[in-house]
Amino acid sequence: MNGWMGKILRVDLGSGKVSVERLDPKLAHDYIGARGLGTKIMWDEVDPNVDPLSPANKLIFAPGPFSGTFAPSAGRYDVVTKGPLTGTIAASNSGGSFGAELKFAGWDVVILEGKAAAPSYLWIADDKVELRSAAHLWGKDVPTTTEMLYAETAEDAKVACIGPAGEKLVLFAAIMNEMQRAAGRTGVGAVMGSKNLKAIAVRGTKGVRVADKDGFAAACAETSRKIKEHPVGGTGLRLYGTDVLVNILNSVGGLPTGNFRTGQFATADKVGGESLAARELQRPRGCFACIISCGRGTKVLSPKYAGAGEGPEYESAWGFGPDCNIDDLDAVTKANYICNELGLDTITMGSTIACAIEMFDRGIIGTAETEGLELLPGNAEAMVEAVRLTGMGEGFGKKLGLGSWRLASMYGHPELSMTAKKQEMPAYEPRAIQGIGLNYATNNRGGCHVRGYTISPEVLGVPMKVDKDATEGKPALVALFQNLTAAIDSSGACLFTTFGLGAEDYAAMLAPLTGEAWTAEEFLKCGERIWNLERLWNNRAGFTAADDALPPRMTQEPMPSGPSKGAVSRVPEMMPEYYAVRGWSPAGEPTTEKLRELELA
Amino acid sequence: MGMMLTIHPEKCTGCRNCELACALEHEGYFRIKASRIHVYAWEREAFSVPMMCQQCSDAACVSVCMPKAMHRDAETGRIEYDAAKCIGCKMCVQACPFGNAAWDALTESILKCDTCGGDPACAKICPVGALEWADPDLAVQPRKKSFAAKLKTAYAEARS
Amino acid sequence: MKVQYFALLRNATHKREETWTRPAADVRGLLTDLCTTYGEPFAKWVMENGELAKFVVVLVDGHDVRSLAGLDTPLADTSEIAVFPPLAGG
Repeated sequence: MNGWMGKILRVDLGSGKVSVERLDPKLAHDYIGARGLGTKIMWDEVDPNVDPLSPANKLIFAPGPFSGTFAPSAGRYDVVTKGPLTGTIAASNSGGSFGAELKFAGWDVVILEGKAAAPSYLWIADDKVELRSAAHLWGKDVPTTTEMLYAETAEDAKVACIGPAGEKLVLFAAIMNEMQRAAGRTGVGAVMGSKNLKAIAVRGTKGVRVADKDGFAAACAETSRKIKEHPVGGTGLRLYGTDVLVNILNSVGGLPTGNFRTGQFATADKVGGESLAARELQRPRGCFACIISCGRGTKVLSPKYAGAGEGPEYESAWGFGPDCNIDDLDAVTKANYICNELGLDTITMGSTIACAIEMFDRGIIGTAETEGLELLPGNAEAMVEAVRLTGMGEGFGKKLGLGSWRLASMYGHPELSMTAKKQEMPAYEPRAIQGIGLNYATNNRGGCHVRGYTISPEVLGVPMKVDKDATEGKPALVALFQNLTAAIDSSGACLFTTFGLGAEDYAAMLAPLTGEAWTAEEFLKCGERIWNLERLWNNRAGFTAADDALPPRMTQEPMPSGPSKGAVSRVPEMMPEYYAVRGWSPAGEPTTEKLRELELA
Repeated sequence: MGMMLTIHPEKCTGCRNCELACALEHEGYFRIKASRIHVYAWEREAFSVPMMCQQCSDAACVSVCMPKAMHRDAETGRIEYDAAKCIGCKMCVQACPFGNAAWDALTESILKCDTCGGDPACAKICPVGALEWADPDLAVQPRKKSFAAKLKTAYAEARS
Repeated sequence: MKVQYFALLRNATHKREETWTRPAADVRGLLTDLCTTYGEPFAKWVMENGELAKFVVVLVDGHDVRSLAGLDTPLADTSEIAVFPPLAGG
């Protein structure tokens, strides 16, 4: 095969049995790879009602056809499983080099089943696959684990691992690769921990084949040019990173502040990308095959929060910053480092602390419950300590590790958890921006921004400007972005390539790479198919239209101040049109007609 | 003066596009282990350095090569590898102090940067200019100047 | 009126914000004046052939001018204008 490697690796962690299967070319064409292919395998093999932390859940690592080639900024992979935080299908996307290395070792998909008898790690060297003891690694943080594995497997191996958080089954534990990149959301790290799997180390000596070498090189040169010429992907992201968004969201009154109580934070600039570039930034970083370089190599010099690593990204800076009423960028950066080191999702972590802060501020919980932590708005030290405790599973961190929905419910106030389907909403206010709210409410993994990023047209004006306060046309816009993103995620490409590229561009690269015919329509249709399959899974897992909702604060409490003062989220009034646009019943279920159209029936 | 492939490690983002371009150029597919350039990363500090043959004037690989497979091209000044003469003794791999000659088990030959015949694919694809195909004198001018500027600032501060 | 600059525009103007005292009846008047004052490093992101450059974001009191009257959006002495070059994140 070209593009794809043609092989699936299946490992039964309990028995240690390793099997190799052929990748069905039809499946590859219909689901592309990564998120799509992983979801299809979950659909075929796993009961959606399975307990996510039981051995019956499966954990799938899958790169896309682009991964391991020089398709610009397209070396990514997905981890697909049932998410313990939400109970939905979970596909967590990461960059770095790990996904490409799986391709070089000859694999399109790695499926992990069951549970190892004792802490173990998987060592994949091309066709040689070994399950080894990780007794000496269990308990170690992500950087230490990674370095120890380089020493005992190969210096140029690539490692995806969990930290103490995944081992302790923190419901939003992440899987980290190359120390600084994260398959962050929905608790995929906890699934890995529940299987007693500490890490996967992989090294490959094979190569990704190209059907039409000159055609592919030309297509990639063209897409690279488009990305570089786009002012966002070509310049802005390298200079300022994603954190540059703080100020623009703040200026339009859409920066969720103090657990989404309002949409503006007076000192937001202190934690924005401009401040980061002036203070902590050392150099930009890029994932495998990346030409955009949005990564931030950073360092904190102040002794109180000293450290080095990568980040923070926008969502992370927001979660530890404005969402907690904190404007100390050193503290925010340190919190980000701790998440990387212990293996935690920064978005859920920040938002969960913000929820705890609101409860503390309102007197719902006190230092008796928090075991001494003074979780008041703006208390940076307490926030940083809360992160550490959560990653280590100590003290109040044990409760924070359940995520904000379970935490707030424990104290009788689930309405103070800013979640959709129990996953924390990222850094855009639904009352100030109508479309993103609809995306949060309908996203197959709950509160998620990336997989329906209407912020681009609604706030940034990319590719064209739409009115953020309007509801007209938003259902169709959200559905389109969700479909396109599903296809892009499945190809191995980074979502930032959308600054410059459209569906036709991905098709133009896939065709010479794979030797198959690809059009923009087919590419988009794959995305729609994948979205609907995720929806079918969730429906079977018991999710209904009632779950396509936002917290009551978003729909019932008007924005108290700022440019969007008085606004509420109008998600409920947009929902019927969203279902209609999607070809679903009024109850939010894909119709037989739609499923036939997508070849899912 | 001949052109040289210059490294600016402070600009390297760790993307490894250079390795991909090199592999495709020489092998026709993305067999990255066949790349003649490697990027070494220090992930804790988020720092990377690309490394390839430095085309040494007094090349250790040439000195140890008995069949003269490794030789200097009189015209370009570059160290060239003649696979036809190579006996696979791997002395060059051991001799290179930078580790920039590698043995490729698949093709049973030495992997060493040949600058793509004077038009390096890696320098063309590098998105941030960490690899530069330039006149060696001009290539380091910006670095010399930026360091000189630091000295200028230091002296100005000392005087005031 | 108050004018705030972000990202690359801070490099172009060497300011985060300033109190603009010269008269400007509308956004067109203000931006034209700013482009003249700060030259090409500023202007290239903000205006192109007398129109708003692609992807520049101009807010008046937190509202995108493209949802108001574009370059003809009127300004008052108390207006707060924020100017962003093309940017993104996620």
